Amino acid sequence: MAEISSGLATNYIYACTRMRVRRSLLIPREDYLRMLNMSLPEITRFIGETNYRSEIDELGTSFSGINLVEEALNWNLAKEYQNILELVPGELKYFTASYLRRWDIQNVVTILRGKLQGVQPGKLKEVLIPAGRLDKVALDRLLAEESPERVVEALKGERFYPVLEKELPRAMETGSFAHLENELYKGYYARLIADATGGIKGGSIFLKYIKLEIDTRNIQNLFRLRAGRVREDVRGLMIPGGSFSVEELQRLSGLEDRDEFIDALKRQVRTAPLLNTLEAIRGKSALHEVEVALTRVQLDQMVRMSKRYPFSILPVVVYLEEKKYEVANLRALARGKEAGLPGERLQGYLVM
Amino acid sequence: MVDVGTTLEMVQASQAGMSALGAGLAVGLTGIGAGIAEMAIGSAAVGATAENRDVFGLVLLLTVIPETIVIFGLVVALLLLF
Repeated sequence: MAEISSGLATNYIYACTRMRVRRSLLIPREDYLRMLNMSLPEITRFIGETNYRSEIDELGTSFSGINLVEEALNWNLAKEYQNILELVPGELKYFTASYLRRWDIQNVVTILRGKLQGVQPGKLKEVLIPAGRLDKVALDRLLAEESPERVVEALKGERFYPVLEKELPRAMETGSFAHLENELYKGYYARLIADATGGIKGGSIFLKYIKLEIDTRNIQNLFRLRAGRVREDVRGLMIPGGSFSVEELQRLSGLEDRDEFIDALKRQVRTAPLLNTLEAIRGKSALHEVEVALTRVQLDQMVRMSKRYPFSILPVVVYLEEKKYEVANLRALARGKEAGLPGERLQGYLVM
Repeated sequence: MVDVGTTLEMVQASQAGMSALGAGLAVGLTGIGAGIAEMAIGSAAVGATAENRDVFGLVLLLTVIPETIVIFGLVVALLLLF
């Protein structure tokens, strides 16, 4: 990776400070609580006064109601991520680009699903978030293709093409892209680990984040599988590379009793905040509460790590993740208000 | 080190030279120190200003705080020379 300039420490300080300032401008908890008591037009006006102003103004003439919020959030997220990719230097750019590839997977799977169900390209375009390597032009080209096979063909040369090529016939046969999606994400995490361990400066710190992310995802998946009463072999559904081996996760998923499962999980975990969260989860039955609690503890852990390594990839990733959840929260709020859900119920779905 | 054959003038000249050297080092080294300190603060200041222009006045003040070290160096230099 000789083409990546290591640069001076000043570049890191500059980029990480910008990320910290941006993070401080994210919507605080108090504002979410206020928004829980607002109607959809009020929420739209409220976010129109924050960082989303330019998108709300720009799209206000073409969209209205929930679609306006949804589009403005998508546009803002894509613009923000692309902007960050431009401003971070050297190795940070390499790791950020590596991290952002998850949006390519999300976009490609959305296009494949849409194509299979015959959704109009215009409608499909509204839900894409061009935040990864595939920009608007590349996604437009994919949208213009007629069938899922042609879409995959057009992606020849991309990192995930081999997985797509291998898994597409099965997905087309069964009509479900779930397995394909799982394989793509597993490939994504494997690639992240490969990028982090490729000998680039700062890779070991990036690896710490990746392991944390994989662990959280695996634990969340174990809870989901329990909630769905799936007792089959889960090895294929787990992401390898975290601090738990796939065999261990399989053993954990085999435990019948929920308390016993949480106890076994606690024995494997070392960090105090996660232990406390697992203990708190014991009293929670709703799956979304468990997921939100685990996400929250992951974000807190990442913030702590970013303070230990203040000028590394971590402040960038912390901002990217928190921004992602801000958009997800606002979307959940807007969608919930549209569906007429009460504020107390919606609160449980927000990562605050 | 003064040789046996050294005259008083030579000793005085040597002392003046050493003082000048010390003064130079006092200003030079503190200047380098301030530069290193300002490098980090300056990059963070530019980053913060890029995101929020309102903090420009504050970060400018923070950036020049390490200059005090040079002032200490300058005072020491002046004391040495005069």
